[in-house]
Amino acid sequence: MTRPAPLRALLLPLVVAAPVLAGLAYSLMAAFGLTGFGGGAPGPGRVARVLAEPAVHASVGWTLATALASTLLATGAAVATSVALRGRARLDRLGRTLATLPLPVPHLVAAATALLVLGQAGLLARLGAALGLVSGPADMPALVYDRAGIGLVLALAWKEFPYLALVASSVLATRGARLEEAARTLGATPAQAFRRVTWPVLRRGLAPAVVAVFAFVVGSWEAPRLLAPSAPLHLSLLTYERYTDPDLARRADAFVLAVVALALAGAAVALHEWAARRRDDLE
Amino acid sequence: MHARADRQPQRRPRPARAAVAAALLLATACGHRAPPGAADLAAVPWDTVVARARGSTVTWRMWRGDPSVNAFVDGWVAPRLAATYGITLRAVEGQGPVMVNQLLVERDAGARGTTDLLWLNGETFHNLRRAGLLARHWAARLPAAIAVDSADPTLTSDFAQPTEGDESPWGRVQFALIFDTLRTPDPPRSVAELAAWIDRHPGRFTHDQGFTGTAFLKILLYALNGGPAPFAGGFDSTRYAAGAARVWAWLDRHREAFWRGGRTWPADVADLHRLFANGEVDFSMSFNQNEVVTKVRQGILPASARALLLRDGTIANAHFLGIPAGAPNPWGAMVVADFLLSPAAQFEKLRPEVWADGSVLAPGRLGPAWRARFDSLARVANALPADSLARYARPEVDPRYGERLAADWRVRIRERP
Repeated sequence: MTRPAPLRALLLPLVVAAPVLAGLAYSLMAAFGLTGFGGGAPGPGRVARVLAEPAVHASVGWTLATALASTLLATGAAVATSVALRGRARLDRLGRTLATLPLPVPHLVAAATALLVLGQAGLLARLGAALGLVSGPADMPALVYDRAGIGLVLALAWKEFPYLALVASSVLATRGARLEEAARTLGATPAQAFRRVTWPVLRRGLAPAVVAVFAFVVGSWEAPRLLAPSAPLHLSLLTYERYTDPDLARRADAFVLAVVALALAGAAVALHEWAARRRDDLE
Repeated sequence: MHARADRQPQRRPRPARAAVAAALLLATACGHRAPPGAADLAAVPWDTVVARARGSTVTWRMWRGDPSVNAFVDGWVAPRLAATYGITLRAVEGQGPVMVNQLLVERDAGARGTTDLLWLNGETFHNLRRAGLLARHWAARLPAAIAVDSADPTLTSDFAQPTEGDESPWGRVQFALIFDTLRTPDPPRSVAELAAWIDRHPGRFTHDQGFTGTAFLKILLYALNGGPAPFAGGFDSTRYAAGAARVWAWLDRHREAFWRGGRTWPADVADLHRLFANGEVDFSMSFNQNEVVTKVRQGILPASARALLLRDGTIANAHFLGIPAGAPNPWGAMVVADFLLSPAAQFEKLRPEVWADGSVLAPGRLGPAWRARFDSLARVANALPADSLARYARPEVDPRYGERLAADWRVRIRERP
């Protein structure tokens, strides 16, 4: 049993959390018409109306689906890369370095790059035209502003992959390597060692980072702004659209949607905490 | 919401309110006196206004999305204000609705104003004035206002709202389609021809979801209902519903032939320009008939791009400068507004290599030297001739028509792909 943290240790986390807590409090008050503009009568009327809108349901569903797809894609790629390149040889190290290259690229630049590459007049389309595969922009399959969100998912996955790969590689390097060697020495086959030792270590170490990526992606604005279709509208775009609605009375809708986005991210965190606690209890 | 804001006392001691107020105060801490009353702005002699403005800083909240506009403001206006009046001009980002939100939050929080001058028109003006957030009756007293083309109703009324001197005109523009003479040598010239063209060229036309796209919807509203006359005289929901039904029917008939089958739409006009420049669509549009001239000069649009007016009529409107009711430095703001109305500033702004934004001055009210200079700009090879602009110009109607069109378009068209 570790001793409880002294109260003063809470100071820094509190300072860091303060803007978010203040923002949440203000958003809740504005959503219920207790402050801010466009309130109408205080009460749950606005929240009920916004949460009943089909456009909001479509937006939440689409945002969750694309966030889940891009998080899974990035996670799968990060796991595969970190496992394949977990050795200490030069090639492994080179591969791990290459995988982190997109890390410093700003999200806006990643999205703009995706637009230049995947757009119907983009690099891929021009390459296709040069090879005689497509004859014009309209011929090129729609990979941006598409209802499937392919361009958005690819761009987000590409941008989040290096962070997850970095975490996965360091988890394996600090915790996986020795245990795996021990298992092999004790007679486990490579497949057994991976299934019983490497994968469980990786899964537990990587899970918080995956949840963080999911929460970030749900709230991302730049990539959807440049790559997502106009229907269903990504939750962050819908929030901003309401915040700047020509009709003043609808602007406070944005605060309801902001709380919804925060709840989605919070739900992912809570789910992870619950699963981790349950696992700890079982062991 | 305004009724509510008016009913309630200005300051309620709520923790969140106090926190917001504290944050805003922290962000803007500098020692200004309390803002003067609105009546003062019209009453104080001009010499006193200029004396009070001298050496002050004017914070101008404006749309900063166009490099040409920014270059004009930062590179031409600001140094002249500094040299002539010792005024430091701070141009900061703040587009229409965001600007309204900021002023509302500042007032709600009881915080000192952070804005002296606003660039606005239409629903922003309507919303701000209705909420009591604008200084009133000051524009006519600017010395340079003497040369304003007051015979033009677009300058005395903003979206059918008489300005009553609550904002000072800054520029005049007219909506135009943009096309490429090489790609589309024989473009459609009316809404009916446009519809036929769209059906013959599937995937090559769209409009954006922003303010320019809404202007296009308003043009459809006029064209399909015999002009703006049915919508004059304030907002009427019955006439709106009947008129808008024709717009939705028109879009339903042709949207399959729009870009991407009318299932997705460019977010704003900058995205539409990009699609046009990339050759993904054959038309763009602009709420400035001369934008094509500046964008061609900047190499953003192809040299063969031209503007085009639909014969059914296109909307002409003006944009203005306003002063918030709580502006810390309304004196400086008035001096800046006066300077921006001067023939020199209006001429510079009109030059195609600068911004090509229409002047609000009446040539007949200028001296012969300035008149000759403005005349010299009247003919730019790829600009639209003044007589066609005047012939097809249609006025704005009550801003609620545009608000409703934009809101209903989202539900009626965008959400039903």
